[in-house]
Amino acid sequence: MLDTTPSLDLERLQLSPHDVERRKAFVGLKADDVERIRSIKDLFLPNADRYIAVFFDHLAGIEEAARLSGNYRTLEEAQRLEHEHLIAMMQGDYGRDYMEQRVRLGMLYSRAGLDVRILLGAFHVLMRALGTEIMKHFAKDPLQGFDAFISVKKIGFLDIGLTVDVLIAERERIISVQQDAIRELSTPVLQVRDRLLILPIIGIIDSMRAKQLTDDLLHSIRANRARIVVMDITGVAAVDSKIANHLIQTVAAARLMGASIIVTGLSADVAQALVGLGVDLSSIRTMNDLQGGLEEAERQLGYKIVRLENSPPALEQA
Amino acid sequence: MATDKTHVPIDHDVDIVAARRRARELATQVGFSGSDLTIIATAISEVARNIVVYANRGEIVLSAVQRGNQRGVLVVARDEGPGIPDIPRAMRDGFSTGKSLGLGLPGARRLMDEFEICSEVGKGTTITMRKWIRQ
Amino acid sequence: MAVPILKQGDMLIASIQSDLSDEDLEKLRDDVAERVGRFKSLGVIIDVSILDVMDSFATRMLRTIGDTTKLRGAKTVIVGIQPEVAIAMVQLGLTLDGIPTALDLEEGLRLLKISITERHRGN
Repeated sequence: MLDTTPSLDLERLQLSPHDVERRKAFVGLKADDVERIRSIKDLFLPNADRYIAVFFDHLAGIEEAARLSGNYRTLEEAQRLEHEHLIAMMQGDYGRDYMEQRVRLGMLYSRAGLDVRILLGAFHVLMRALGTEIMKHFAKDPLQGFDAFISVKKIGFLDIGLTVDVLIAERERIISVQQDAIRELSTPVLQVRDRLLILPIIGIIDSMRAKQLTDDLLHSIRANRARIVVMDITGVAAVDSKIANHLIQTVAAARLMGASIIVTGLSADVAQALVGLGVDLSSIRTMNDLQGGLEEAERQLGYKIVRLENSPPALEQA
Repeated sequence: MATDKTHVPIDHDVDIVAARRRARELATQVGFSGSDLTIIATAISEVARNIVVYANRGEIVLSAVQRGNQRGVLVVARDEGPGIPDIPRAMRDGFSTGKSLGLGLPGARRLMDEFEICSEVGKGTTITMRKWIRQ
Repeated sequence: MAVPILKQGDMLIASIQSDLSDEDLEKLRDDVAERVGRFKSLGVIIDVSILDVMDSFATRMLRTIGDTTKLRGAKTVIVGIQPEVAIAMVQLGLTLDGIPTALDLEEGLRLLKISITERHRGN
């Protein structure tokens, strides 16, 4: 099983004190906003549960959020963390702990499979509930109420920004782990005879895979003390000039290690097209197919395949 | 993010070896591996030698850098030597045969991801190079 | 740091032990030339397996060693270029321009023996 355990890497998420200040600047959060938020905290602190419930009730009604709502332990932890977070938000202390809390919640939602669309919707529902309460309280002075609400929205947007960043970072991290696993599995180097390696390449070669291939091949040459490598590219999806140039470099590198590479499966058409694109294929030895390449390699290594006089008879069908 | 800089003075050809070694250490810390380590060390060898051969002395400053969530190394090679009168030509002259003495610069550029050169005749040369961990 | 050069019959084997400075490489070039002349060696092996960087200067020196030994009637084989070093050299555009290379000492000796035998046969 792939280890896709998330880690709380704040540096990677750009949460240095400097980054935090920039995030505040991006939403325009200033000292008077913090004052305003603190001044209305008593509207929410006593009934924080009610507002948290609004958030999670909304999610409970969404099918795609079932993994969160349906998992008692995850839901409980999320509710607890959001509760703490709402309290911290209203008290106006937005330091490192506040940010870590937000990141932890983001990781939790990521693990529960919640994506940006769902979270933005729930965020809106919560904001609306907070806003409604604020406007009610400032019924006699709606402009002040609006200002207070705007201040709350600023920190809210800072929060949702963080959550989205965490979701994105987690998604990228998982993809990267999966890609590494695929790369490791994708190209076996086979030792066929003493000093002879076969490398059958199949599929799409991007620059990362090409680099991996060359690395693996050269290390195999050293490990197996190979003198000849037959590299079969019949199965390569598309051979363009970039791949061809990478191939040429690989051949040159192998030569520096005393090994020669025979490339098989490069069709005449493709070869002609590459030459037309200005690729110099003169340094590559090619044969039509793997069989031909193998025979040539064996010949060079001094092997001769001889059929024995009394080879065993073919197995009879049962 | 900590940007510790490593200064390697380049006065003598043995300093080229020192610069390579420090670069490899830093690159390893940043998270580079395998052939990238060798590639970075080789590029530094080329610019360091440049300093020794053409400017007699200078320095190479190494540091870890970050751009977004990409990590990499930053190499600044500077000297107060004679400067390069014709930069485009210096960047063209080359390495393909390796027979010409060449300035090692086009080679270093090929190896690194980012390469900038700033030079003034009579004042000196500063080369800035970066390589990023491929994600 | 001087590179130790061992004589094995008609062959000379130079085993580089650590990262070499430019001066060290120049000394190696001179030492090899001197010994080939003195011993009338037929083959030289230079083992670079310890080097973790081969830059333009080192490559040029190795080519020079190959050329000078050829002038004195010997053949040089470079052995032990490591995978990462080979990749960096190729990306940098460095070649050893006709000087044979082999994986390691054993392969290098095998190559030299073959080419020396062929040369004798040719005479």
